[in-house]
Amino acid sequence: MDNVRRQFIKGGTALVAATSLYLLHDAGAEDTPQGKVRYALLHDETKCIGCNACAEACRHTNQVPEGVARLRIERSGPYGEFPEQYYRFSRVSCQQCEQAPCVNVCPTGAAYIDDKTGIVSVNSWKCVGCQYCIAACPYHIRFINPLTHSADKCDFCKETNLRDGKQPACVEACPTGALMFGDLEDPHSNIVAALNTQPVYRTKEDLGTHPKLFRIRAKAGGITL
Amino acid sequence: MSAFHSEYLVWHWPIAFYLFLAGVSAGAMFFAVLLKHLCVKEAPHLSGYIRAACLIAPVTVMAGLGILVTDLTKPLQFWKILLFYNPTSVMSVGVMILLVYTVLMFMWIALVMRPYIDEWSELHLPWLQHITAWLSRVEPTLTGILVILSLSLGAYTGFLLSALPGYPMLNNPVLPILFLLSGLSSGAASSLLGGVLLHGNPDSREVKFIHKIEIPLILVEIVVIFTFFMGLVLTGGQSKIAAMNALGFGFWGAVFWFGILVIGLSVPLAMNLFMTATAKRRWAYVAATASCSLLGVLMLRHFILYTGQLTIA
Repeated sequence: MDNVRRQFIKGGTALVAATSLYLLHDAGAEDTPQGKVRYALLHDETKCIGCNACAEACRHTNQVPEGVARLRIERSGPYGEFPEQYYRFSRVSCQQCEQAPCVNVCPTGAAYIDDKTGIVSVNSWKCVGCQYCIAACPYHIRFINPLTHSADKCDFCKETNLRDGKQPACVEACPTGALMFGDLEDPHSNIVAALNTQPVYRTKEDLGTHPKLFRIRAKAGGITL
Repeated sequence: MSAFHSEYLVWHWPIAFYLFLAGVSAGAMFFAVLLKHLCVKEAPHLSGYIRAACLIAPVTVMAGLGILVTDLTKPLQFWKILLFYNPTSVMSVGVMILLVYTVLMFMWIALVMRPYIDEWSELHLPWLQHITAWLSRVEPTLTGILVILSLSLGAYTGFLLSALPGYPMLNNPVLPILFLLSGLSSGAASSLLGGVLLHGNPDSREVKFIHKIEIPLILVEIVVIFTFFMGLVLTGGQSKIAAMNALGFGFWGAVFWFGILVIGLSVPLAMNLFMTATAKRRWAYVAATASCSLLGVLMLRHFILYTGQLTIA
């Protein structure tokens, strides 16, 4: 019996030691290697008229097939009494979380945060389609692209417009200038100035996701209990 | 909106079957080890219940993984999940656990079946006996790690769902404990059912041994289910709404109150107590009790998976 116990302890210790050594192999590395650029987006709901030009531009620029979407504008309302009625519009797309649940749960690392831009991205080749990220995203904005069979979502046009040195398609298409795109690390950027001077909000912050899609609340309210 | 469709549903019934099968495998392996070391001791390869567990554990874990792979959107690229790992991903850690578990499980089964293997290899493959001899030398280490891995596998099926922050009912610290306990009891039930089907004596010491563990297991399971929902209700907000949506009077409410609480837990508990009191166990009693238990756990997996995705944070 004593021998048996000794052997188990020996074997078990060896296994634990081996595992800890393996986990230590990149312990010296920088924990979250932040690049110099961290892109964010500001949606001014007071300017948004719900025309869906952004959604159409996104579909066209990023070749998003019909039936799925990287970007939608959700309309709620009408609020208020006739004739003073109004709708509210909110943007439904990737919130570019700093602590992204999709990245945490992805078993292969196909969902990752790009070091250079801070953009939550998808490596389509690595994705096996387990849909864990789709279930993990508290904003429910991920989907399986029917052409690639990989998870897909907004990446601030990283592979299209940004690569060509342009602004994301939605920002370029917005007729009222309701969208502002920029680098949070650049103290002179328009978005930093806008965020510093206006009260903004982000959705589901209480889940600890630290989203980088900021919003300016629609001007008029409405009672919902 | 029917019971099996909801707005934010991502994972559907194949995942529930996978969670069920992985739990059965983990539980069957756990009870096989317990039976061998604490109950049967001599000649474990002759016990119908250990034989059943040794058959059930590999078949269920393979079937579960098969279901999982076919449920991927790119089933043929499943190998990437074995090649790339992400230590923050519960699924990735689970893949590691499953890999080691499966290997150790086969090694342990080979040890149990050693008399048959040695008999066969003496004539056909003599060098195989070196391997079985080596296995027998490392048996304590093997067994200890296998027990830890089977418990990890049982808990992992719960952690897989509790890692989802968007669903307040799933994102619940009690869920892994609930899945571990119900996985263990499904393993016990499947070993009993398989054992009597493989002509094990229904009034044997193995059955008494398992029933003695099953009674407190079911009682603790009931307490854990109660804690699970009390926790949700007391948290308030969307968690409370999630609990109410799940336990309400719809289809899933019926599954919970009648299927899980009555068929899955109360009936097996009553039957186990009855069989312990009357001291005579019959084939039909053991088989029926085990079937109720298994059905209950299968319903619990579906219930948690579907109702968990009804309400979002």
